[in-house]
Amino acid sequence: MNALDSVPELAGLRRVALWAAVSGVLATLAGALFDPTQFFRSYLMAWVYWGGVALGCLGLLMVYHLTGGGWGVAIRRLLEAAAGTLPAAAVLFVPLLFGLGALYAWTDRAAVLADHVLSQKAAYLNVPFFIARTALYFVVWLALAHFLDRWSRRQDETAEAWPGERMKRLSGGGLVVYGLAMTFAAFDWIMSLEPHWFSTIFGMIFIADSALGALAFVLVISYLLARGGAFGRVLAPPILNDLGNLLLAFVMVYAYVSFSQLLIIWSANLPEEITWYLHRVEGGWQLLANALAIFYFAVPFMVLLSRGNKRQPRRLALIAGGVLAARLLSVFFLIGPAFYRRGLGAHWLDVAALVGLGGVWVALFVWRLSSRPLLAQGDPELAPALARKH
Amino acid sequence: MAPASHPHPPAEPPASKGAATPESAFIAPGHTFGSITDKISAIVLTRRTPVGWLLGFAIAFGLVMLFLMAVTWLLLKGTGIWGVNIPVGWGFAIINFVWWIGIGHAGTLISAILLLLHQHWRTSINRFAEAMTLFAVACAGLFPILHTGRPWLAYWLLPYPNSMGLWPQFRSPLIWDVFAVTTYATVSALFWFVGLVPDLATLRDRARSRVGRTIYGVLALGWRGSARHWARYESAYLLLAGLATPLVLSVHTVVSFDFAISVLPGWHTTIFPPYFVAGAIYSGFAMVLTLAIPIRAAYGLQDFITQRHLDNMAKVMLATGLIVAYGYAMEAFIAWYSGSFYERFMYWNRVTGPYWPVFWALIATNIVIPQLLWLKKVRLNVPVLFGIALVINTGMWLERFVIVVTSLHRDFLPSSWGMYYPTMWDWFTYVGTIGLFVAMLFLFIRFLPMISIFEMRTLLPESKVKDSAHA
Repeated sequence: MNALDSVPELAGLRRVALWAAVSGVLATLAGALFDPTQFFRSYLMAWVYWGGVALGCLGLLMVYHLTGGGWGVAIRRLLEAAAGTLPAAAVLFVPLLFGLGALYAWTDRAAVLADHVLSQKAAYLNVPFFIARTALYFVVWLALAHFLDRWSRRQDETAEAWPGERMKRLSGGGLVVYGLAMTFAAFDWIMSLEPHWFSTIFGMIFIADSALGALAFVLVISYLLARGGAFGRVLAPPILNDLGNLLLAFVMVYAYVSFSQLLIIWSANLPEEITWYLHRVEGGWQLLANALAIFYFAVPFMVLLSRGNKRQPRRLALIAGGVLAARLLSVFFLIGPAFYRRGLGAHWLDVAALVGLGGVWVALFVWRLSSRPLLAQGDPELAPALARKH
Repeated sequence: MAPASHPHPPAEPPASKGAATPESAFIAPGHTFGSITDKISAIVLTRRTPVGWLLGFAIAFGLVMLFLMAVTWLLLKGTGIWGVNIPVGWGFAIINFVWWIGIGHAGTLISAILLLLHQHWRTSINRFAEAMTLFAVACAGLFPILHTGRPWLAYWLLPYPNSMGLWPQFRSPLIWDVFAVTTYATVSALFWFVGLVPDLATLRDRARSRVGRTIYGVLALGWRGSARHWARYESAYLLLAGLATPLVLSVHTVVSFDFAISVLPGWHTTIFPPYFVAGAIYSGFAMVLTLAIPIRAAYGLQDFITQRHLDNMAKVMLATGLIVAYGYAMEAFIAWYSGSFYERFMYWNRVTGPYWPVFWALIATNIVIPQLLWLKKVRLNVPVLFGIALVINTGMWLERFVIVVTSLHRDFLPSSWGMYYPTMWDWFTYVGTIGLFVAMLFLFIRFLPMISIFEMRTLLPESKVKDSAHA
């Protein structure tokens, strides 16, 4: 059964995505002609936003294969579809490699030689090594996504247990290399935008941010799909409650790692570390910082405490949508101040790239999702989830 | 969910399902409500005190005497009898404080977080894991108080109105520690006691001696097992679990701030909070295994603490151990990446400086050897698992030694460098607290049910039938 035919919402989502893709990509290309530097900056933010969702979904998928649980079987196909977009996301990353000079100060050889600290880091922060590392990260992610996808398809065809066993085994070691690749990708792509600055927790912040974005995205989509049918039956209140708790946990983890970084750096007040926050509390950026604390932590935290909000599909989807929107702030908070040094600002290309890339990515996601039934029939967790009485 | 709301358990043994084998089950087949109650309460009430218990308690009590002697000498002479001096002002006292308080975290995680996550396998291990938490926190708390040098003035740490113009520095994480640890001790004690109440009532009803009936009776707070009692108990217990959950994170986060808030290379690094929390859970589970494996063998509790429990705990150790390894990797990489001379020197000094054997022993015990836990064969081999748990206990102690000592002994100016060597009084105090911990644990095993009787009953198939009938 093709999900696209049976679920009109999915077809509608694809229509919207394609419109966004066409208009956003055209606008972005037009902008790129006039202001290539700004294009690369906007495109990096857009990629981190949407690519982060795809990568977060891959991580959640592996966590599910490792631990099992009713929460995972309900959203498994969505996670798989998002992880399945990673080859395309890798291709979409390629344009950035042509703009490294516009993005990263450490590509300027003369500036590096004139700067004592940067010349110390030159063995790591240089263009060939950067590209090689980025390629390695994608090899890791694509390999994980590929084998999980292949065995998941085998699980659909056979009643045997081996595909599930293999996915579980791969996910154990897979999460280790996934975490390392995510960490160093965060160091390379985002942290090195301000090349003097360093923070050992930064990789965890990126992982937590991606996982939160991924779960929020999946919850919004699952609400669209849950109108009736077997999929809606699996997404029953107890499962929604678990998913809502997971969202709450991720909201708290993100706040925990971010606040830890802030408190430790603020307390020590060391000149080489404090710059990153100075760029984020001055010139209007403090508004964004405050908005982030309110909409990415305080509000979702408060509303997710309520059991009623988690058990109501519509309310949970609204909250997840809010988190997804607030993640725009978090990505902008991480990257934007590196570019807009004269104060809080944004360029229309930031929006265009986000819409264009988002349209392309969501359309890919819908295409991957509609290629398979919405529920994983071979998953041993499915039968208990369907049989549960409420 | 209404665990064990059955005042009159059925007498006939259940039809053994046969499918459940000890390797995959959380309770061996063939048990009834009655047999569980008999088996656990007999350890306290009817069985003779084993010779091994007397011997073990005697040794532990001897170590407590050693501890008291060390403390007496400390109070007479002052902290100069310890190895601490400038530049290493935080020696064994802080290493042991962090080590003990970390161990406590597994108890809270097992009893609170696993309860909220519906992980029913926690049932047979949560009681003594919580007891372990309490005793570990007690041992932990002794160190900073003794380290103040004038422990009788320790109440100065609390903000209270006084005529001395004395007020704690609220920007200091050391003061946050005071609050974090006292809250932790209070909530853990409450949680443990509330969980004990129904079982204390069981002991009251079954005790044959008048003294036993009286003491257990007073502690049972008039518990009669009525439906109303159970309903209130359930909500109180869940509430306490909710209160205890953030403590798993907050206490060791604050402990990590003790270091990270400073400007010292090796202490001041942003990964510390999550990596300390993971390390705490890692060491805590290692300690739970260190205790559970001998206890289940000595008292024949393999029916209740099954292979699957050990397997699950080993997996938690593996996962948290990997997060700790990730923390080490981030420290090493960023020390280099920072481009800061002092950061780089700090790490190089750890790896090749005077304390290099400690560092490499740490890598071997905390990172390399625990990787054996990837193998199912190892996780199911009880003696090997016990050995790995001991290795991790050692490794986590070495970790705190490396953090505390190597960062302090060589910081910025070579003219203020120095070495730290623990004295015999450091060792006596440390070994003494191990004795204190073990002695309290022995008393607990002897006088209280070490496995929750009424929660174990909920693992039986009979209670499941009732559950779904009500749902």
